[in-house]
Amino acid sequence: MRRNKLSNAIILVVLAVLFILAPLLYPNQSVPFQMMAFMTLAQGVNLLYGFTGYLPFGYVGFFGSGAYGVSILVLLLHWSVIPAVIGGGLFAVVVALLLSPLLRLSGAYFSIGSLAASEIVYYVVSNPNMQNITQGPYGVNLAGIYDPNTSYYAMLVILLIFTAVVMYVKNSTFGMSLLAIKEDPVSAAMAGINVVRRRVAIWLASAFAAGLVGAVYGWYVSVFYPSSVFDLTISIFAIVFTLFGGGGTVLGPIVGTIVLYGLYNTIGVSSPQYFQLIYGLLIVVLVMFLPQGLTSLLKRRGINVP
Amino acid sequence: MQSRFRKGTLWAAAALSGGMLLAGCGTTTSAPASGPAKTKSPTAEISIGTLYASTGSFATSSMPEYQGLQFWINQVNASGGTYVKAAGKKEKIRLVSYNDQSSAQTATSLYNQLITVNHVNMLVADFGSVLTSVAVPIAQEHKQLLFDQSGTGTTFFTPNNPYIVLTSLPTSALWPTSLANYLISQHYKNVAIVYCENDFDQSQDQTLTRLLAKAGITPTYNNAVPTSTSSYTVILHNMAATHPQAVIELGYPNNDISFMQALQASGSTFPTTFTIFPGQLPSLFEKNFGMKGLNNMFTYPAPPLFTVQGVNYGMPIAQFAQAFKKQTGSSPNFLNVAGYNTGLILQKTLATATSLSQKSLRQAVTGFSGSITTLDGKFQINNQGAQIGETLPVGQFTVSNGKLKVNFMS
Repeated sequence: MRRNKLSNAIILVVLAVLFILAPLLYPNQSVPFQMMAFMTLAQGVNLLYGFTGYLPFGYVGFFGSGAYGVSILVLLLHWSVIPAVIGGGLFAVVVALLLSPLLRLSGAYFSIGSLAASEIVYYVVSNPNMQNITQGPYGVNLAGIYDPNTSYYAMLVILLIFTAVVMYVKNSTFGMSLLAIKEDPVSAAMAGINVVRRRVAIWLASAFAAGLVGAVYGWYVSVFYPSSVFDLTISIFAIVFTLFGGGGTVLGPIVGTIVLYGLYNTIGVSSPQYFQLIYGLLIVVLVMFLPQGLTSLLKRRGINVP
Repeated sequence: MQSRFRKGTLWAAAALSGGMLLAGCGTTTSAPASGPAKTKSPTAEISIGTLYASTGSFATSSMPEYQGLQFWINQVNASGGTYVKAAGKKEKIRLVSYNDQSSAQTATSLYNQLITVNHVNMLVADFGSVLTSVAVPIAQEHKQLLFDQSGTGTTFFTPNNPYIVLTSLPTSALWPTSLANYLISQHYKNVAIVYCENDFDQSQDQTLTRLLAKAGITPTYNNAVPTSTSSYTVILHNMAATHPQAVIELGYPNNDISFMQALQASGSTFPTTFTIFPGQLPSLFEKNFGMKGLNNMFTYPAPPLFTVQGVNYGMPIAQFAQAFKKQTGSSPNFLNVAGYNTGLILQKTLATATSLSQKSLRQAVTGFSGSITTLDGKFQINNQGAQIGETLPVGQFTVSNGKLKVNFMS
């Protein structure tokens, strides 16, 4: 237990130091900012997929809800930024609560159902009749609160919080109960675990993570359209980064994001054709030989992966 | 057990550091289109930074615009460079460009890269509003003038942001003026409009309906559809049921193609049928529908379909078309013209600005606004940087002697 705490503390400190130093060492702040955003999204997917087995293809719906949540709170209700960001995260929680009946589905049905749900949210937000609330398809301009430096550190705080949440879930009886539900919900229920309540709790926590990330992202870019914050590639990246690193671990999503987002920045921009080829090959190899992700390589050697 | 545990944590820390290094290095070494990125050197050459999308939903529009800009750079460099008033001599242009793959997230990093790492002298946005939107606050934050080629989003142009200039298209809210005038002149009473749920199309719908309302015309059908709509059959039947004299479809090229496919399949005809993009990308539409399919279709014809009169800066359209074909092997379309036109605005800015500071560049643009006419039309911006000089006429395709022609209606 003590070793776990030490290991977790090291991970948090290393993350904090790296992302505090990154903008000082490299002037393009957007690269570490987006890495933190995807890392937190991957941890959000990890909470849901790694501990319950639900793979949310429509995870971007919460991200977009957070971005639009902050815009509504700032532009319509004139909230100050930090409460608006937290409110943006809560917007996503409300959306997740409305969509919680999706948890009655399982496997591919849940994945497709969540994807369809995120499309519904997208079309509601971009509907011209919602112009007075969301600006409809016109996009949002939050130039009045634009502050890339503060929003950068806000993203770092959110990353650290949700990395800590995953650490807690992994090492708590709550996490154990989720894993039990993942293995066999009927047996878990027979053992006295409230399956529905725990699934909904982790679903809402996961949505809150995406909502907060979306809110801070909206604050960071300050001008965005429905199509850019409900872009399906955001879901895909978060899911692939989690799967690549290894779900159900603290380290997996972090490693997955760093390796794949690093690869994306290395060759994805200059030679996208090779990137897509390499990306595809990596995923095929991973699914065939390392279905539990990169961190399973260490587990196989008996090394404990936080 | 404890050593294995430590090994895991150490491995994690090493992976984190290595990965961060990889991510950072990756961006610095992303190859620009023409040679590696260098820091700003005001006296050696002028660096122009831009993004393009070779894949994704904006690729078909972004690439021709990028080719137009590249064409201008090649022309300038072949003639020994462009005159830079701040240096008092001609200087060559170096293009630093990255591929954003039609992703707004990627574009955010790359615009930042162009400003903070490559330190480009002039920043040019990628095609369209979505990929331009993320550049607007970044450019403003870094006090870097953004040359917005075709992002006509209404939220970009605000009184307190001097760091944006729209070069090659009027703001989308201005587009339908000529269309509204034409419909009013025809004394139409039944007008049916379908538009896509995006900034570009909805702002046109709002302007169109406002202008029609002033003339006492209320559209009998005016509905939005998602931009991803690919089947217009039911929508078209609903519109036909209102017996319209004019059917207006406002969308992106893919929407226009889908709409025209549905129109062809249904066999419906209306006195006036209007779509936006056949006039800007005629070869694409001719390939899909043939001349017969385009016959009688109303559209906004844009250069090279018509020739702007009184060009006093850069090549006129005929000369451009010839030179472009010689250099690239293909005939230009409107987006090529738009990219080239952006180059001309950059050229004029450099020839006018007394220093390469971004404020000086902006002052230079304001100074020559309204005084130059290029192959794309009159370049004139308002005090927020939005283009107001260009107008888009309404035209109708007709087939005459086996050739596609455009009759101008306004």
